[in-house]
Amino acid sequence: MADKRVGNVFMPGDVLEDLQVSESVKKIVLGPGLIDDGNRIKISKPGILRFREPGIYWIDCHQKRYVPSKGDSVIGIITQKAGDIFRVDIGGSEQASLSYLSFEGATKRNRPDVKVGDIVYAKLLVANKDMEPEVVCIDSYGRSSGMGVIRNGGFLFNASLNLVRKLLSPQCALVKSLGHRFQFELAVGLNGRVWAKSKSDIQTIAMANGIMASEFMDNNQIKAMCKRLSRAVSGMEVE
Amino acid sequence: MASFIVLTEEQQRLQREAPPEAVLRCLTSELGCLTRQDGSASLSQGDTTVTAVAYGPAEVRMARERIDRATVEVVYKPKVGLPRPVDRKKENIIRNTLESAIMGSAHPRSAISVIIQETEDLGSNLACCINAACLALLDAAVGLNFMVAAVASAVMEDGKIVTDPEKKVEEKAVAVMTFVFESVDHKLVSVLTYGKFTQEQYKVCRDLCRQTAQSVFAFYRESLEKKLLKTV
Amino acid sequence: MRETPLSNCEKEFILNNIKEHRRLDGRNAYDYRDIRISFGVSLGCCHVEMGKTKVLAQVSCEVGQPKQTRPHDGVLFVNVELSPMASPAFEQGRPSEESVELSRLMERCLKESRCVDLESLCIVSGEKVWHVRVDIHVLNHEGNILDCSSIAAISALAHFKRPDVSVQGEEITIHPLEEKDPVGLSIHHMPLLVSFSFFLQGKYLLVDPSEKEEKVMDGKMVIGMNKHREICTLQVTGQNLLLKDQVLRCSSIAVTKVTKTTELIVQALENDKQARLRGEKHGFAEQISSEKVTSNHWRETQVKVKEEVMSASGGSGAESEDVDSDMEAGSGDSQTDAARLKDVEPNVDIVARGVGAIGEGGASRWLDLPKTTQTSKNKGKLKRSHPEETEVKQEYDEDSEEETQTVLNGVQ
Repeated sequence: MADKRVGNVFMPGDVLEDLQVSESVKKIVLGPGLIDDGNRIKISKPGILRFREPGIYWIDCHQKRYVPSKGDSVIGIITQKAGDIFRVDIGGSEQASLSYLSFEGATKRNRPDVKVGDIVYAKLLVANKDMEPEVVCIDSYGRSSGMGVIRNGGFLFNASLNLVRKLLSPQCALVKSLGHRFQFELAVGLNGRVWAKSKSDIQTIAMANGIMASEFMDNNQIKAMCKRLSRAVSGMEVE
Repeated sequence: MASFIVLTEEQQRLQREAPPEAVLRCLTSELGCLTRQDGSASLSQGDTTVTAVAYGPAEVRMARERIDRATVEVVYKPKVGLPRPVDRKKENIIRNTLESAIMGSAHPRSAISVIIQETEDLGSNLACCINAACLALLDAAVGLNFMVAAVASAVMEDGKIVTDPEKKVEEKAVAVMTFVFESVDHKLVSVLTYGKFTQEQYKVCRDLCRQTAQSVFAFYRESLEKKLLKTV
Repeated sequence: MRETPLSNCEKEFILNNIKEHRRLDGRNAYDYRDIRISFGVSLGCCHVEMGKTKVLAQVSCEVGQPKQTRPHDGVLFVNVELSPMASPAFEQGRPSEESVELSRLMERCLKESRCVDLESLCIVSGEKVWHVRVDIHVLNHEGNILDCSSIAAISALAHFKRPDVSVQGEEITIHPLEEKDPVGLSIHHMPLLVSFSFFLQGKYLLVDPSEKEEKVMDGKMVIGMNKHREICTLQVTGQNLLLKDQVLRCSSIAVTKVTKTTELIVQALENDKQARLRGEKHGFAEQISSEKVTSNHWRETQVKVKEEVMSASGGSGAESEDVDSDMEAGSGDSQTDAARLKDVEPNVDIVARGVGAIGEGGASRWLDLPKTTQTSKNKGKLKRSHPEETEVKQEYDEDSEEETQTVLNGVQ
């Protein structure tokens, strides 16, 4: 059972007292934006209070800057090759390190084919406020499972963290509506970067603009926008 | 420097007759008006306009790195000419104010930068700068312990007190005081005063500004709610 | 701060699309983004938006000495400020190479084209002239800050009015704005800069490049021109070699752009003048549209003052209009509080007296002005001289801690 105040906007400095939770739950998890201050819960970021079963509360705030968090899948840009590691820009306050052995099938003799300026889809292995973040392109079994260098064209663009989470949420109609009308490949990084590739460049640009425009839209507006978009694109392609 | 001024009976009576006015000029804000920054806000108090942006937590230069908390950097840019010592002083005051508000321990070895551009200075500029900086930090969703609101007040020759004064009023005032309050316990965070004033006047100004600051907090709340709930 | 590097993927994508005459925002190769010009309340303050690129320009003047080589002319000074506000790539402090190049181009465009009549800025020949200064601040960098700056600079110069001066023999009077109406600068013509970016060995040309396009371009050409088709500035930079007909083609494109932009500037100046004449509200605050989700507007708020505060100044009490009503109760000072003072002792220990220290430390005694010195606890060296001992209320304020602290340093 969610607290009554879920869905309200809270500002930094506000205090949540007596946060409700159902009887069966033993502990409450406080997500981003909520700080445990003795017997009160303080809010540190402006946003909407959200709840998820069994007992997770968090503040849904509007943020553009990514703060690395363990386990996130991100899109990084290789900026430097330094001996055994690559330096990857993931958008946080520090660049992450990526060992050349963290690719599928990579050994000391068989180095991966990665150049400066390439984009990689990677997972954050180490990410806390006191250490330099580290990313890897393999999972714990040694398989790439979709990670690695993203090749063959496509377009990379930036979005706010909310938009990216919205894209990935099952409730959002955006990916589905676009999928009805276009054929595309999409890689979404939780650090606010999205890579899209479609059959033709016109479609790719249209899709990118469509995604960026749906920042403040709800599901109905998104569906209408996708309809207009596909009409405009098919009009352009005929020309 | 505190100076002890003792009022005569006559002066005290005059001060009593003139009731203090607590008026906050009309506020206009726009959040996210600039695209390349993590957070941006443009705030107008009456005709005084200030644009502030916030970045963070971002990369910090090695020399400025602190291992236990974030480095707060503030840059104030005057509209005319190159920055002077008086602008540096403003930067210091704003930085000290924001350092207490920002939850720096959550982001060690990083920098939270606030850059403030004076767009129109037509009275209570420092207060408008601090308010715009707070809005920019809210727009960037940087972790804050509390919000800050600044209100200026001017003491005129006849003892009258005007809050949120315009430039013409400020120029004729005997003293101008800017108070910054926080949103949790309404305690005073910073004060900057110019000119001379009595203890009485200080207290009256402080209390008036404290009450006016509540309106500023309500304005922040409404602006953020509008953006987050997407209702016009 | 480091800027996000451009990935190879983005670079290739942009170049491939340019080859097919496509731009990311759907413009044509020779299209400008939407230009919006607005003026502030103070004279000479102009804000220009070109798409998402935003620039603020301010013109100011002061009296100074003329240049030795030109004793009859005023002095025009142009400065472009690139701060970290515009983009995380810019550093605060010493002007970077890019900002020096921009300042220099703007100077060449405005000074060497003699668009402002500097002779009219002379007050006393050889001794006193007007120094006119144009400060350009880039607020947001989404490409093509040069064009945007030139529009802002020339609009600000046309909008600016300097104080009127009257010279009577040896006496020079500068009339303040309230006394005599200020005088505008005499602008002969409006030179504007138009930027062209070249890609793929100069084969493809784009006007008004966006930020990403600027990162992948090979070279740039800047043409400064006015609406009378007179070229004031021409500069080619980068790694491309241009053919003669390319340069001529660019200048003819520049003509159309400059004519349209000049019309826009004149229209904006006219709108602002009308608004001022009619006494309508004008300025930046008015430009913010209230229809947006991200903007908010509050009319003038009359904060009703709480009773305790009013009694301090003796006025009639009124109800409080606070939104957050959990205020400190001890913020007022009234006779009832004075009674409490005598019961409460400040519970701060007086620290050991240091040698040569002023005062004794401990709680604030700023309000503790006794009638007679006997009741005073002050044994310190600081003597307070009060020639007139008058009725001073004994007040003890609960929040005395606030009186001693001026600035709260960040304490975690």
